[in-house]
Amino acid sequence: MNQVSHQSVPLIQVEKLCKQFTVRKHHLGTLAFMRNLFSLQVRVIKAVDDVSFSIQPGEIVGYIGPNGAGKSTTIKILTGLLVPSGGDVRVDGYLPWRDRIAYVRRIGVVFGQRTTLWWDLPVIESFELLRHVYSIPNTRFQQNLAEFRRILELDEFLDTPVRSLSLGQRMRADLCAALLHEPKLLFLDEPTIGLDVVAKERIRQFILHINKQRQVTVLLTTHDLSDVEKLCERVMILDQGRLLFDGDINHLILRFGGQRRLVVDFVENYPLIQVEGAHVLSRNGFQVTFQFDRQSVTASELIGRLSLQYRIGDLQVLEPDIEETVRNIYEQGLLYDHE
Amino acid sequence: MLRSLSLYWRLVGVQIRAQLQYRTNFWFDVITAGMMTIISFGSLALIIQRFGSIAGWSLAELAFLYGMVEAAFGVMDMLFSGFDPGTFGRQVRLGLLDQLMLRPVDVVLQIFSSDLALRRLGRITQGAFVFILAIYWLDISWTLPKVLYLPLVFFSMVCFFGGLFVIGSAVTFWTVDSIEVMNIFTYGGAEMMSYPMNIYSNWMRRVFTYIIPAIFLNYYPALFFLDKPDPFGMPSVVYWLSPVVGFCTLWLGLSFFSFGLRNYQSTGT
Repeated sequence: MNQVSHQSVPLIQVEKLCKQFTVRKHHLGTLAFMRNLFSLQVRVIKAVDDVSFSIQPGEIVGYIGPNGAGKSTTIKILTGLLVPSGGDVRVDGYLPWRDRIAYVRRIGVVFGQRTTLWWDLPVIESFELLRHVYSIPNTRFQQNLAEFRRILELDEFLDTPVRSLSLGQRMRADLCAALLHEPKLLFLDEPTIGLDVVAKERIRQFILHINKQRQVTVLLTTHDLSDVEKLCERVMILDQGRLLFDGDINHLILRFGGQRRLVVDFVENYPLIQVEGAHVLSRNGFQVTFQFDRQSVTASELIGRLSLQYRIGDLQVLEPDIEETVRNIYEQGLLYDHE
Repeated sequence: MLRSLSLYWRLVGVQIRAQLQYRTNFWFDVITAGMMTIISFGSLALIIQRFGSIAGWSLAELAFLYGMVEAAFGVMDMLFSGFDPGTFGRQVRLGLLDQLMLRPVDVVLQIFSSDLALRRLGRITQGAFVFILAIYWLDISWTLPKVLYLPLVFFSMVCFFGGLFVIGSAVTFWTVDSIEVMNIFTYGGAEMMSYPMNIYSNWMRRVFTYIIPAIFLNYYPALFFLDKPDPFGMPSVVYWLSPVVGFCTLWLGLSFFSFGLRNYQSTGT
């Protein structure tokens, strides 16, 4: 997939993207409201700072970062809601904010925090309105709707007003609404926020389905790293407006995942266990968890050393998960050091 | 254009059906709004009865001015419901614009079709009732220009008030504190235009001649329809300025709105 796509024209091309906001300074204390009225002091905030990336057709890319990192600002620029302060953006040949009407026809957008559906209307009527808003030919509309109804299991609440839906149901309805006009590109801003495990899984399966079956390219922001782990091969990490990492998830873990763990069930109790290249993280009866660095020792070397000295019953190697990796990156500023 | 119109009806039809779901509520709103008009005109009528006329205007002539302004403002208030500065500002803060801008339809058209407050029908019918009563009382010498000009004047007033509403909603792109100021212009302007201009002091009349040229919208046309002399001796072209002022105000409002929208896109506030 990657081999082929790198030769094709990128669907999204972002170069040196910048977005600054000016925020009026707020004074505190007596007469502050008068000073606020007349004060011209402003503070410039760089929400997105010199960000460049490109996304190929067919990719699912996770866009992650802590709160206020600039994820939403980027998505707003890419969907045409905001004009950037600098840099170049081309999506499918369009300047999103300039050619808004022609452009938004070709994309789907879902904001997890709010709905694009009509609040007081039954779900099916919202879909009908969208058919007219996007001028979708009726046969295509019916086909798409039938498919999404089946996969997203919409039938149980199709006649319910949107305001009465549960969060999970609303998200499924919103996903359907964003795809009825067959966009090539789907932006998802926190698509699983506030959902339970089952609902999350259903949403993820659907995203994978439309990516495989309809070749929809997906850019998603999320706080839930298991979304990224299950959906994306590629991840971009943003912090304080700067792109810190852009690449393969496995590569990210390899580079920054640091410590792996080896869980060993020994056959008998060894009060003192020592092995070169690893240290004991925790003990629980006969079970001991070691931690080791992937750069200094491999798992098989370690197992070999252990089995020379001790009798091993069972063992398991634990890879660091992405959540831990990313937390490391944020907390220790790892990516800054590597630059 | 045709597509816009059909989309407008489809979207606004949804709003209307939603309003009619709460039938009692709907009729209650219509009737109370209508009562307001009748009561306020009734109290005016009672005062006039004591004095015979105000500044040379009889009750029937006043009803002509009053009824037209009321009906025109009501029609505007209904058609431009989506632009009502109070609700619009709140909707913007809730992210309404992002939602509208993600749909492949002109944003202004979408705001127009986002609401059509049918309860304004109360004000419209009562205003129309007062106006028709005035025409019945008055012995207007109808000529062809008058017959043709009357609907145009009405339409111009709708545009004028609409323009003020649109300006008011555009201001909320920057600040929400200014809504009260805008209400002075919209509701205050309508109130002021319900009375003949010669009852106001000179400075006020000048404001409504040169700054907010509301005087041309209904006062001068009324002089023309009722064959009353112009107390201010303006050139006779002023009788025909109503459509110019009406359309220009609406055009100005819509231009200011798209300017505000562009600003919203670059500041994201």
